[in-house]
Amino acid sequence: MGKMERFPFVVLVAGLGFFLFADFISWALPMFVLKDIPMKKVSDLAAEAKAKNTSAWADFQRLAQYYPEQFKKYYGEVNEESFAKALKIGHRWYVAEGCWNCHSQMIRPVSNETLRFGIPGVSNTVSYPSEYQNELQAPVLWGTKRIGPDLIREAAVHNVDWQVAHLYNPESTSPGSNMPGYPWYFEKDKNGNIVPNERGIGLLTYIMWLGSWEVKPTKEWALK
Amino acid sequence: MATATATGDVQLTNLVNYTLVKLHVGMGLIFFIIVGLMGFLYSLQLDGIYPFPGIEFLSPGRVRMIHTAGAAYGFLVNMFTGLLYWAVPRFTGYKVFDEKYLGTFMFVGLQAAVLITVVAILFLGQADNVEWGETPWWIDPVIVAWLLLHAIQFGTPILKASQKAPLYVSGWYISAMLVWTPLVVFMGNFIPRFWSAGSGAGAVQSTFIHDLVGLYVTPVAWGLMYYFVPVIMKKPMWSHGLSLLGFWGLAFFYPMNGVHHFLWSPIPMFAQYSAVFATVAIEFAVTSVLINFMMTLRGSAEVLKYNVPLRYMYTGAIFYWITCFQCAFHVTLTFQKVIHFTDWVTGHAHLIMFGTFGMWVLGMAEYVWPRLFGKETMYSKGMSEGAYWLLTIGVIAMFVDLTAAGLVQGFDWIGLNPWIDSVNFSKPFWYFRSVAGIMMLTGLLMYAMNFYKTATAGKGLEAQLKQTV
Repeated sequence: MGKMERFPFVVLVAGLGFFLFADFISWALPMFVLKDIPMKKVSDLAAEAKAKNTSAWADFQRLAQYYPEQFKKYYGEVNEESFAKALKIGHRWYVAEGCWNCHSQMIRPVSNETLRFGIPGVSNTVSYPSEYQNELQAPVLWGTKRIGPDLIREAAVHNVDWQVAHLYNPESTSPGSNMPGYPWYFEKDKNGNIVPNERGIGLLTYIMWLGSWEVKPTKEWALK
Repeated sequence: MATATATGDVQLTNLVNYTLVKLHVGMGLIFFIIVGLMGFLYSLQLDGIYPFPGIEFLSPGRVRMIHTAGAAYGFLVNMFTGLLYWAVPRFTGYKVFDEKYLGTFMFVGLQAAVLITVVAILFLGQADNVEWGETPWWIDPVIVAWLLLHAIQFGTPILKASQKAPLYVSGWYISAMLVWTPLVVFMGNFIPRFWSAGSGAGAVQSTFIHDLVGLYVTPVAWGLMYYFVPVIMKKPMWSHGLSLLGFWGLAFFYPMNGVHHFLWSPIPMFAQYSAVFATVAIEFAVTSVLINFMMTLRGSAEVLKYNVPLRYMYTGAIFYWITCFQCAFHVTLTFQKVIHFTDWVTGHAHLIMFGTFGMWVLGMAEYVWPRLFGKETMYSKGMSEGAYWLLTIGVIAMFVDLTAAGLVQGFDWIGLNPWIDSVNFSKPFWYFRSVAGIMMLTGLLMYAMNFYKTATAGKGLEAQLKQTV
C-alpha cells in the first residue's frame, strides 16, 4: 500500500492514466464516431445559403433593402462574401454579449421541444450532429440555461422585422419579457431613423440564419 | 503531517511565507465579494429592475460571464493558492519551490490575468462561449503556463516529502490536482476551438465544465479539508481505508462525469450513458468520504458550538453530500427531461460552489487569518457568527428557491404554455433569489469587515475559551 501513497504513483496513475482514460471515453471516442461528418467553414455556409436560396439568404437581402445606407456602408453588396462577413460578426457578438447564457441552441428529443421550438410542417426536427459541424459552433453554443426560448430553429419562428424591433426593445414585441434591450447595435441614419449598425446587421443575419437550413422554402421567400 | 507536527513553532513560522498567504487570501476575498455583486446585478435583470440599462459594458450577459469566470479564477484560485501556501509546507515539512521570485510572480500574474479577462469581457467584447472558460482564448495559454508554475511551486515540497515516507491524504489529492488542472484548462479551452466543432466540441466542453469542478476545485478542497479538520480537532481521521477509497473513487470516476451536462444532446448515447453511470458511482465514493469526516467528528461535535471555522467546514461538508445525493438522481435521463436548462441546475451549482467550496475556504481562511497576524482570535465573535448564519441561511434559501423554480419552469415548458408564462411564473422565485443574494452579500461584507478589523487591530485579541478536546 505504501507505494500507492507516493507522489509518482498518484501522478502517473490518477493524474495522467485515469484522466486520459476518461477523456478517451468522454470525447475522443464520440469524436471518432462523428468523424465522417464534413466540417464546414463560414464561407461554405454562405455558399450553401445562396445555392439553396434559404430563408437566411432572403433575410439578408431584406436587410439590404430595409437599410440600404448602412448595408452599403458596412457590407457593400449582397453576395457570399458579405453574408459570410455578417455571419462572423453576428456570431462574435452573440458570444461576446453572453446571449448563450439565457438562450440555448439545442432541441432535445423529449419534453415536447420539437413542438415548442419548431413550426409543425415547416421545421420540427430534433437537433442532429451534422447541423453543428461548422466553424460557428466551435466551441458549440448549446448553452446550459434557458431564461428565453431556444434559438436553433429561430428562422422558422419569427421574421426579421420582428427581430429588429425585439433586439432594440424586447418589450415592444414580447410584453413582460425580462430580456435587456441592445441599443448599441443601432445607430441613426440621415433621416434620424434608428437602424441597425454593422454589428446589428451581423447579429440579425446570424439570428435569422439559425435554423434556416431546416426551413422549407416557400414561394414567398423567392425574392429576386 | 508527521513531519510537520514534529517541528516546533519557530520552524513552522519559517516554513510558511505569511505574506503570500495574506495576499492571496485577501485578494480571493475581494474577488468573492465582486463576483457576488456581479451575480446579484444579473439577478436584478431577471427581476426586471436592472439599474444600468442601455450601458454597453454593463450589459447583463457580460456581467454574468464575470460572475462565473471571476468565481473560478479570481475567487477560487486565489483562495486555494493562499491556503495551499499555508497547508502544503506544513504537512510536508518543506518550503515551496521559491517564495520570493516565483511566489511574487505568480501572485501578480494571476491578478493580471483576471483583470485582463474582466476588461476583455466587459469592454472589448472578447469572450469565449465555454461555460466556466469565458476567459478570451488568447489569455488561456497564460493561465495554463501559470498552472504549470503552480505545479512546480507546490509539487516540489510534496515530491520531497514523498521520497522520505508515504504521503498524507492531502498530498494525494493535491499532487493529482497539480497535474490535472493544467491539462483540464488546456483541453477545455483549445480542443473545442481549434481541433473540433459541434457535438465533439460539446463533449469536450462538458468534460471541461465538470473537470474544472471535479479535478481542480474538489481535490484541492478535499486536500485542504483533510489537513485543516484534523488539525483543528487535534485528532487523526477516523479511517485511513476510507480515505484511500474516497480518493481513488474520485480519481477514477470523476473525470468520466462530464457528458452528463449535455444529456439528450447530439453527443453519441454511449458517452451519455457512461457519464450517467460514472456519476451515480461517484456518489458512493463521496459518501465514503463523508462517513470518514462524520466519524472523525464523533465525540467532538461540541467543538462546532464555539469553533466557527470548523462549523463552516462541516456545514459545507453536509451541503456537499446533499449536492452529490441530489446529483445521483437528477443525472438520470428521466429527471433531465424536466430539469435540464432550468433554474434547478443553477440552484445545484450555487449549493456546491457557494454552499460547499465557498463555505470551506471561508472557514479555512478564518482559521488561518488571525494566526497570520499573530492574534489568537478574530476581532469580533459576533461578526463571525453573524456572517456564518447569514451565509448559511442565504445559500439554503437560494438553493430551495431555485430548485422549486426549476420544477415550475420545467413542467411549464413541457406543458407548451406560451414562453412568457414561464417567465412570469418564475418572477416570484427570482425576487426571492435576489433577497437571498442580499443576505449572502451582507454576510460576506460582514466577514470581510471582521478580517479587516482583525488585521488592523492592535495587540490583545486573545482566545478566551479553553480547548476541550
